[in-house]
Amino acid sequence: MPLLQIAEVTKGFGGLKALRDVSMQVDEGEIVSLIGPNGAGKTTLFNCITGTMPPNRGSVRFRDEEIVGLPPHEVARRGISRTFQHIRVFGQMSVLENVMVGRDFKGRTGIFSALLRPPRVGNEEAENRESCMDVMALFGERLLPRLNQPTRELSYANRRRVEIARALVSGPKLILLDEPTAGMNPNETEQLMDLIRLIRDRGHSVLVIEHKMKVVMAVSDRIVVLDHGEKIAEGPPSAIAADPTVIDAYMGRRQRAQAD
Amino acid sequence: MRSSRIRFPKFLLANAPVLSIIAVLAAVPPFITNMYYVQVLVFIGIYAILTLSLNLLNGYVGLLSIGHAAFYAIGAYASAKLSMELGLPWVLALAGAGAIAGFFGYLIAKPTLRLSGIYLTLVTLGFNMILFLVLQNWMSFTNGPLGIMDVPPPSIFGFVLSSRLQYYYLILALVLLTVLSMHRLMTCRFGRALTAIRENELAAEATGVDTTRYKIQAFVLAAFYAGIAGSFYAHFVKYISPDSFTINESFILLAMLAFGGQGNLIGPIVGAAALILIPEAFRPLQEYRMFVYGGVLIVMMLVRRQGLLGGRSYSLRWTRFDSAPARIYERGDKFLPEG
Repeated sequence: MPLLQIAEVTKGFGGLKALRDVSMQVDEGEIVSLIGPNGAGKTTLFNCITGTMPPNRGSVRFRDEEIVGLPPHEVARRGISRTFQHIRVFGQMSVLENVMVGRDFKGRTGIFSALLRPPRVGNEEAENRESCMDVMALFGERLLPRLNQPTRELSYANRRRVEIARALVSGPKLILLDEPTAGMNPNETEQLMDLIRLIRDRGHSVLVIEHKMKVVMAVSDRIVVLDHGEKIAEGPPSAIAADPTVIDAYMGRRQRAQAD
Repeated sequence: MRSSRIRFPKFLLANAPVLSIIAVLAAVPPFITNMYYVQVLVFIGIYAILTLSLNLLNGYVGLLSIGHAAFYAIGAYASAKLSMELGLPWVLALAGAGAIAGFFGYLIAKPTLRLSGIYLTLVTLGFNMILFLVLQNWMSFTNGPLGIMDVPPPSIFGFVLSSRLQYYYLILALVLLTVLSMHRLMTCRFGRALTAIRENELAAEATGVDTTRYKIQAFVLAAFYAGIAGSFYAHFVKYISPDSFTINESFILLAMLAFGGQGNLIGPIVGAAALILIPEAFRPLQEYRMFVYGGVLIVMMLVRRQGLLGGRSYSLRWTRFDSAPARIYERGDKFLPEG
C-alpha cells in the first residue's frame, strides 16, 4: 500500500487548467522528485495535497484515508508537513519558538492549563523544547547558536533551515519540500542533499520540488515530470534523463533538433 | 532545603523591576491628597485593561477589531443588570459580565472568523454600531439614552467599597490579574500559536495550528477582559448610558494601542496612561487641549510608527539572576560575532 496515492487530480483556475488528471504515488521511505518547467503545476499539486487549495476533482489518499476536503491543519496532523517556495517563517519569533510551533498540535495545554500551570504544562514545554533541539542538531552549527535570535535576522539559507526544522519536528510520515535549495550556494546545496537523505533515513518519506538537476538526479529514487498540468513522465533518474518527451518539455523541440 | 533557600531571593531579584513598580503603585496613592488625581489613576487602570484586551486581538493575533467598545458596553450593562435585577454580589456580577461579554465575543467570532482582514474589521465596526442602537432604543431593558442610574458599589464578601482610594486598589488588583493571566497565556503554547498566526497564517495552518479555533479563543478572551473592565466601570461611575460606548470609544482604544505599541504587555498600559494623562495635563489650555492630543498622535505616527514600545517584546526580568544558564549552546559558530 503506497503512503500517498494521488489519483486523477484536476485543478483549474478559471479557464486555466493547472493540473489535469495527475496520478502519482509516494511509497514509504522513498524520495520522489517532482520536476517540470515553470508553471507546470508542481506547487499547485502540493497545495492540493495539503488542503491549501483543494482540487476540483480526483482523490488524494494518505495512509489509505481520503484527505481531500480536510483543512490544512488536519492534513498536517495526519502526518504531512511542508515547506514553501517563498520562505514562510514567523519573522518576529525566535528560532526556537518557530520550530516549537511545528509541534503545536502535539501539545495539550489550553487556556485554563496555561493560566493555572499544573506541572504537566512545564513538562510538555520541556519535552517540546527537547525534541526541537534534537531536530535542530541535524543542521549542525547553523541553528543551535541562534536559538533566541529573531528569525527575520537570519540569512536566507538559515531561514530555509528553520522552515525545514519546523516541518520535521512533528515527526511527519511525509514531508513536502518546495524548492529547498532555491537561493543556496553550491556548498549549501550539497549539504541540503545530504540532509534530504538524512531525513529519509530518519523515517520520513520525501516529496521534493526541485529545479537543480544535479540535486534531482542525485537524491531521487523516482522522478515525476509535470508539464502544463499533465504528468508526462515518471521513472528512475536514469530513465528520466534519457526520456525524449522530458527533454522536449525542458529544452523545446527546436533546440533538440539542433543538438541532433 | 538549602536550594529552596537560595532560590527564593533569586526569584525576588530577577523580578525586582516588576515588584518595585507594583510597590510604588501600591504605596504612593494614599499620600495623594487631591482625590481627583486618584480618579485619573483609576481611569488609567480601566483603560489599561481595555487596551490590553484589544492588544490580544490587534497585537498578538493580528485581527483588526475596531469595535471593541461593544464588549466593554456589554460588560457594563451585564454587570449593572446582574447586580440590580438579580441582586448578585459584585464578585459574581463581575464574573458574569466577563462571561456574557465572552459569549457575545463567541457569537461574533464563530461565523465571521472565516473571513479575514478587512471583512472581520467591518463586522466588529457594525457590531459596535448595532449594539449602540440597541442600548439607545431598548427602553424597557436599558432605559435608553437615560441610562442606568445608581449602580450599587462593589461589595467584596460583605465589604462595600466607598472611597476612591479603595476603588484604586481594586482596579490595581484587576490590572495586575489581567497582566499576570495574559503573561501566562502568552508564554506557552497558546501565545506561540497566536503570534505564529499573526506572523504567517498560511504557514501556521500548514504546520498543524488550528488557526480558526485559536482565533475564536482569542476573540472570546479579548471580549472577556473588556467585559471585566466594563463591569468595574459601571460600579465605579455608578451610572452608565449608551454614550459611553460609541464608536468613538473604540477609536480611543485603538489610538492608545497605536501610541503605546502592540504585541507586548507593556506598550498598551503605557499607551493608555499617556493618552489619559495628556489631555489631563493640558487642561489649562481648555478646549485647545485636544489639539495637543491629536498633535502628539500625529507626531508619533510620523516619528515612530510602531508606537512607543511596539515592534518587539520587552522583558522586565533581570535575566542575569535567572537560574537557567544563559547560553545553552557552548560550541559556538565561527561565523557568529564574539560575545
